[in-house]
Amino acid sequence: MNVDLRSRTGRWLVAAVALVALVLFPLFVGGGSWLNTAVLVLLYAGLAQAWNILGGFAGQVSLGNAAFFGIGAYTSTVLLDRWNVSPWLGMPVGAIVAAAFAVAVFFPFFRLGGHYFAIATIALAEILLILFTNWAFVRGARGITIPFVRGPDRRPTDSWAFLQFNESRVPYYYVVLGLAVLAVATAVVVERSKLGYYLRAIKNDQQAARSLGVPVLRYKLIAVAISAAVTAAFGTFYAQYLLFIDPETTMRLELSVLIALVAILGGVGTVVGPLLGALVLIPLSEVTRSQLAGSGNTLDLVLYGGLIMLIAAFQPNGLVAIGDRFRRRREAVRPAGDETERGEAPLVGAPGTRN
Amino acid sequence: MRRHHPWSWNALAVVGLLVPMLTMSAGVARGAVQGATPAASPAVVECPPDAAGAPEGGVVRIGVILPLSGTAASVGNDERAALELAVELVNQDRSEVSLPLAAGVGLPTLGNAQVELVFADSQGQAEVGQSEATRLIEDEGVVALFGAYNSAVTRTASTAAERAGIPFLNAESSSPDLTEQGYYWFFRTSPHDGTFSEGIYDFIESLNTDQSAGLETVSLLYEDTDFGVNSAAALTAQAGERGLTVAGEVRHATGSSSLTAEVQALQQQAADVLIPSSYTTDAILTIQTARQLGYLPKMIVAQDAGYADPAFVEALGADAEGIATRSAFSPDIFEVKPVAGQVNELYRAAAGKDLYDVPARGMTGMLVLLDAINRACSTDPEAIRQALVDTDLGEADTIMPWTGVTFDDNQQNELGRGIIVQVQGGQYRTVFPAEFAVVEPVVPLAPWDQRS
Repeated sequence: MNVDLRSRTGRWLVAAVALVALVLFPLFVGGGSWLNTAVLVLLYAGLAQAWNILGGFAGQVSLGNAAFFGIGAYTSTVLLDRWNVSPWLGMPVGAIVAAAFAVAVFFPFFRLGGHYFAIATIALAEILLILFTNWAFVRGARGITIPFVRGPDRRPTDSWAFLQFNESRVPYYYVVLGLAVLAVATAVVVERSKLGYYLRAIKNDQQAARSLGVPVLRYKLIAVAISAAVTAAFGTFYAQYLLFIDPETTMRLELSVLIALVAILGGVGTVVGPLLGALVLIPLSEVTRSQLAGSGNTLDLVLYGGLIMLIAAFQPNGLVAIGDRFRRRREAVRPAGDETERGEAPLVGAPGTRN
Repeated sequence: MRRHHPWSWNALAVVGLLVPMLTMSAGVARGAVQGATPAASPAVVECPPDAAGAPEGGVVRIGVILPLSGTAASVGNDERAALELAVELVNQDRSEVSLPLAAGVGLPTLGNAQVELVFADSQGQAEVGQSEATRLIEDEGVVALFGAYNSAVTRTASTAAERAGIPFLNAESSSPDLTEQGYYWFFRTSPHDGTFSEGIYDFIESLNTDQSAGLETVSLLYEDTDFGVNSAAALTAQAGERGLTVAGEVRHATGSSSLTAEVQALQQQAADVLIPSSYTTDAILTIQTARQLGYLPKMIVAQDAGYADPAFVEALGADAEGIATRSAFSPDIFEVKPVAGQVNELYRAAAGKDLYDVPARGMTGMLVLLDAINRACSTDPEAIRQALVDTDLGEADTIMPWTGVTFDDNQQNELGRGIIVQVQGGQYRTVFPAEFAVVEPVVPLAPWDQRS
């Protein structure tokens, strides 16, 4: 079948095949650490996608997204811990709280340019971390343990009502898959809407965008609200997955950096980039750790860090640009007009082109 | 074709550098340092005829989760060496060491099966702890989990064990919540903060009775993370029933660059005893500031951590003299318990340093677990759990200053406790309880200007 994978039809086809593969994935691995790794890949893919809406499309680099993640985790967990509210309800509440918080805080932040904006976002997450560490109502530094839902025989059991799965982790996988699909769908919708065009205009040149009548501040605030809400939803999921949260686990700087790293390494400002970044980076971290870390010589971290630096050095535009690079090379070698050679090419063509 | 944005290059390079750096340096040691564990009675175990017997391949695999990288890496690796030593004692015939299972090869009831430890690195992070616990259970086929030092990691890792239905033995985390949440598979051999706080008050009480020290009021100084907050909560809760008045609490940020305001607040409270809970650098700064400002309570009895770190004595010299701290283990226990001295020689040969608190507790916990597996006559999780519940070890079965190991309804060891050591002549010397004391406690603290 000679479908151009870059065409609209081709892209939907790729997406559909990928989705079917993801849905069937647990049937092949059963359980074990691969399922855990898959959950983490989807989690970070979604978080990076949310980051991408603000950081990629609008070019506002945030190194404080852990703040939204933490707000999502804490909102649903405190509701559950104090008033026995199901996390399914806590999730949208957390998303709304995070979005409102983001709008309130980023309103002044957006007056800061470039690097200063990034620094402010770091400070934001760190301040929140310290506040939560010292806030008795959310149990401060001790964190909150979410109690097991137990069956009649005392064994931890599954509960869809309380988003907790103890007999098999496969339901967790499908929940996070659903969230990730939602995050990607949000990114696709944003990318193709007026909002997406405005954001890209803002990224390219704020002054020019403003002079053309784009309400810059309003659209940046909309972007950060969406980004925060999606991030917070994953926070709720994560709290339920771990069944324990503390400020350190949900809000530390390292988490913010990892979210940004996944998106940047994958390819900023594209929908595929964050997915690719998570698909490469997370298994890399899990595999190096599980294979090498037991010896205690931290070789795994050296290797992990080294590979990140290699990608940074040779693919500054992210993994997504690898395809572009091959394409450029092929085009350079091939004489013009020779596009239909054995029906194999053209990987680049006008959208909708078929051979 | 996409445009190349200059910032993406920079951001990528910066972030690429940041991640490994943060991973290696961050991850804050949240678990406090305490407790200890036992070893089993060498009594002959009789197995029921239908017991499972030797495991497949003659190997019993146990998963161990420790912070092998990150800020707690040095402690994690020291404990790792102690656990390997525990397994060596069991696997090889070391009848000269009078600890359970040391004589004879392997686990006798399991066809002399060898024990194999599968280590995993938690990086001191709660989420990594759960990932690794899951991997050890599902991919490595371990029969029990052990670890994980940091209280937060122990929490998430034990959640994985509870889900899977296999025993989890903790030997080094001190947060009382861990055993109080009533997990079916979770056991702790180490005393927790509550028990340790009792020990501090027992010591103060004994100073009042034996030396008429007249200690009636206490000030609490504590750092603001899990360890300090839990410690202060336990100390406050118990003060009243011990006839002591809490004159005030002062909280400080971990890693403060100045503690002047905090020490001034303590000065105003003018309590008889200061009970600080801080890590090393803060502990040193507290005492330096106290000297500068001329703050001197009658006694300082610390909650372990920085005050029990040899670096504390090194940095302060004469100013550390007379300061007492709760501890879980002290090298001079060798003078009272010869077997501890024997084990210390073996440890020093392997790790190049003396056995101390965390490795000693870890080793003891591992021997308790292996003893239980041996008595279970099987690697069936329920049988191991039942054997753990039935654990009954005496004072001679461990290298710790404990009266033994038996588990209460929360599966917390009831016979563990801390000791009090005091800096005397530049050394930590055990002064309490009486059975393990090698010298008499000195009270009150000498004035700052009368120290050489």
